[in-house]
Amino acid sequence: MSFLEIKKVGKSFGNQEIVKQLDIDLEAGKTLSILGKSGCGKTTMLKMIAGLESPDEGSIKVGGTMMNSVPPAKRGIVYLYQEDLLFPHLSVYENIAFGLRIKRMDKSFIDKEVRRMIAELQLEGHADKMPEAISGGQRQRVSFGRAIITNPLLLLLDEPFGSLDAGTRKDMQLLFTDLSATYKITSLFVTHDMKEAILMGDEIGLMREGRLKIYKSQQAFLADPDTGVANEIDFWGGLTSNKSD
Amino acid sequence: MRRSSNSIVMIAYAIWVLFPFLYLLVLSLSADWRFPSILPNYIGLKNWAAVLGGETGLVKSFFLSLFISLLVALSSTLCGFLLSRIVNYNKKKNLWTIISYFPYVLAPVVFGACLSYYFLRLGILGTTFGVILAQFFIAFPYAMIFFSPFWTEKTKDYENLVATLRGSLVQKFTKVLFPLSKNLILICFFQTFLISWFEFGLSSIIGVGKVQTLTIQVFLFIKESNFYYGAMSCCLLMLPPVIFIYVNKRYVFNKIL
Repeated sequence: MSFLEIKKVGKSFGNQEIVKQLDIDLEAGKTLSILGKSGCGKTTMLKMIAGLESPDEGSIKVGGTMMNSVPPAKRGIVYLYQEDLLFPHLSVYENIAFGLRIKRMDKSFIDKEVRRMIAELQLEGHADKMPEAISGGQRQRVSFGRAIITNPLLLLLDEPFGSLDAGTRKDMQLLFTDLSATYKITSLFVTHDMKEAILMGDEIGLMREGRLKIYKSQQAFLADPDTGVANEIDFWGGLTSNKSD
Repeated sequence: MRRSSNSIVMIAYAIWVLFPFLYLLVLSLSADWRFPSILPNYIGLKNWAAVLGGETGLVKSFFLSLFISLLVALSSTLCGFLLSRIVNYNKKKNLWTIISYFPYVLAPVVFGACLSYYFLRLGILGTTFGVILAQFFIAFPYAMIFFSPFWTEKTKDYENLVATLRGSLVQKFTKVLFPLSKNLILICFFQTFLISWFEFGLSSIIGVGKVQTLTIQVFLFIKESNFYYGAMSCCLLMLPPVIFIYVNKRYVFNKIL
């Protein structure tokens, strides 16, 4: 049964139709990675799901609850940006604890949860550091921890690894896959990197000019010539064969 | 050689900067200083004792000015912060920003003359509230313009993030926006305080002589050719800015730079 159900959602700014007839059905605990070029409507789509933009038409349901008129603070949907957006006035510990503190949870519960999360994120020894004193990859980990610790219904990731170097990016992909499995996170993962989309998603979506096409399996995605995967494989295959010649 | 010439330049600079202040201080301690005497015939605390004794009305003016300036600074900083958020997130941001500059097109005296008719009709001409309101009209747009660069896309993203982490509007402000802009708020508070503290033209027109702020007292003493009391009121006028400059330098600028 679908956990995230989006039906016929559309959004225009002026005369420009940004998102057209958006349909998504995603089971709980699954990741839908969405591939698309800049300006194709990915961010607007995520913002509508998070409640930061209102759709012109269609319905958004999470866990069977209609979300269209629910404000962002009551949706339980966390939106993560490409930039980590750590609060510069708070330490690593306090950044992770932020979501629990604003819910006024018990102090000992917060402490236990934050320490557990710090260990999961392999950030031991960094808890008291300020954000400017840690690396880009570590900052992104803190950002994940701050979102996941609130136990969101749905996690929306808008090119979260876009600003990281290749090595750190690979580590973060592995970490996110592990965290997704451990915490059974339902997520939409937006990227413009084809390899990342294939690695991260249980299902893969391709967004073009505001229209989203979803492939329920990697095989279906690989088999569709529209995705451009076949061209990529041909290109790399061609390079390998040229070298061996 | 070069070192000593540098020292001379530095000492000359210090004298050039500090001389007017030292001179004012000496003048405020003086009495009966007539040409061609190089030094005053009397140096002591007589003038200051008169001030503290309440004879001159300076202490009252000092506290009245302090009250007006603190209120103007507090209200304009707070309103400027909140309103600039609305303006800068508005689609017609540029138009609203241009409107914020309008009070500065007119000289404060002319602006005061324009306001005086309406203040008279409202019955607040010649009242402390009227002076506070008039000064607020000058300081508030300044605060609006001052905070404009703070409301960037990134700040908006912070706000959205707090919302999706289930934070309320109040928590957005108390947990993120105020801490992020703490130094800017302090600087704006100091600046608007100074705008109000040194305001003369607008206050004299709206106060119509009934609201005796410290700047008005300074000009009254100068008009009366009472240089000793004039110098003394100038010393009092300098006191809060000196304290603010020290606090700014010690706790704000050093953290920004």
